[in-house]
Amino acid sequence: MVPDASDWSLVQRVQRGERNAYDLLVLKYQHKVVKLVMRYLRDPAEAEDVAQEAFIKAYRALPQFRGDSAFYTWLYRIAINTAKNALAARDRSPVSYELDLQGSDDSPDLVSRLKDPETPEGLALTEEIRNTVNSAIEALPEDLRTAIVLRELEGLSYEEIAATMDCPVGTVRSRIFRAREAIDRRLRVVFDGGLGRTEELV
Amino acid sequence: MNQDQVESQLSAMFDGELPVAECELLSRRIDRDENLRSRWSRYALIGAAMRSEPVAAARSGFATRVSAALSAEGRPRGTRQRRLWWNSALAATLVAGVAGLSIAMLRDDASRFGARGVVADAVPAPARAADRVAAAVPVRAPAVSVSGAGHEPWSYVTPVGLGSGNNSALRTQLADYMVEHSVYSTPLMQRNLLSSLVSGEDGLGNASDPPGTATAVTRAEQVDAAAAAGARAR
Repeated sequence: MVPDASDWSLVQRVQRGERNAYDLLVLKYQHKVVKLVMRYLRDPAEAEDVAQEAFIKAYRALPQFRGDSAFYTWLYRIAINTAKNALAARDRSPVSYELDLQGSDDSPDLVSRLKDPETPEGLALTEEIRNTVNSAIEALPEDLRTAIVLRELEGLSYEEIAATMDCPVGTVRSRIFRAREAIDRRLRVVFDGGLGRTEELV
Repeated sequence: MNQDQVESQLSAMFDGELPVAECELLSRRIDRDENLRSRWSRYALIGAAMRSEPVAAARSGFATRVSAALSAEGRPRGTRQRRLWWNSALAATLVAGVAGLSIAMLRDDASRFGARGVVADAVPAPARAADRVAAAVPVRAPAVSVSGAGHEPWSYVTPVGLGSGNNSALRTQLADYMVEHSVYSTPLMQRNLLSSLVSGEDGLGNASDPPGTATAVTRAEQVDAAAAAGARAR
């Protein structure tokens, strides 16, 4: 199984008219697409607007997507083009200066800065996520760690992992789930401490 | 099913390893369970962090905003509609082609059997005007019978035994059918159809007809009727 197989099954469901399957693709790739767009547009709010536009364009074009490439590769191109177009449109527009009439106490607010990965706080949060995930993986029992690494880094299917680890597919499914749960428990602590609520990220 | 089992399903679905039927059920559950949605998003972050992929935490409600925007604009225009359009176009072309072929064959028959050939006898006047014509034209035998000529009938729409008493009605039905179906053909094809129907009427004024019957329908009336039928069909 290729790593993108899960995306392909979601794409096919969207093509059959299941709109909620597209919501799952957005939830899955929102952080990567926003990050990608921010390479062109550094303002987080503007980057999110453009990322949203990219997701909408991708949805409109999805009936024509035939799976010749990975879904994210295809989405990546759409996001890049949308960002470039936004950048070109902005360059053609008069420069606007926003005045902070509310005073400096409230702007920029801490939450926005935390969510902007280009700020020191944002970078620290991203780094903390990575460190938390890595340390959680190291703390996993070997069978769980092997299963999640084979899945996430090697992109193997459950069947392939079962063959590699010489165990039933059901066991692989259980190990990967338990590994994710262990990592997620630690990750939630980071979000509870950094952003106040886990849902803020979603 | 307890929460642990549902979350186990979510993990399998994230990897594309959950059976389709279970995916559909779980998707409906995800729609109304914010906890599952958050978990799904964090699973993506875990994978990205493991692969050292660059990520930026989107602001709260990003996915919800995208979803709302998509709901506002409805389903994407897919290939299904385009396929439908092509199917319609293909069907129209085929119908027009069959109609054109039929006309050509009937005209061929008409020319081979003389001025009072099959078409001439079969089509007194097109479409609704046929009622008027049918009333005026008495049932009469064709000048040249297909079977009597020693030929196999060339056209499947022209039954053997043209001399029977139902000929006029049959021919009228055939004319109606062709005019009605000419709406699927091109304007040029429609014009050809009408002109062929009208030109086929030359034999109606044949000297063998009793006066005051077929000749009562003048050529001008036939042209008018054909044009009217064509306009209705369009």
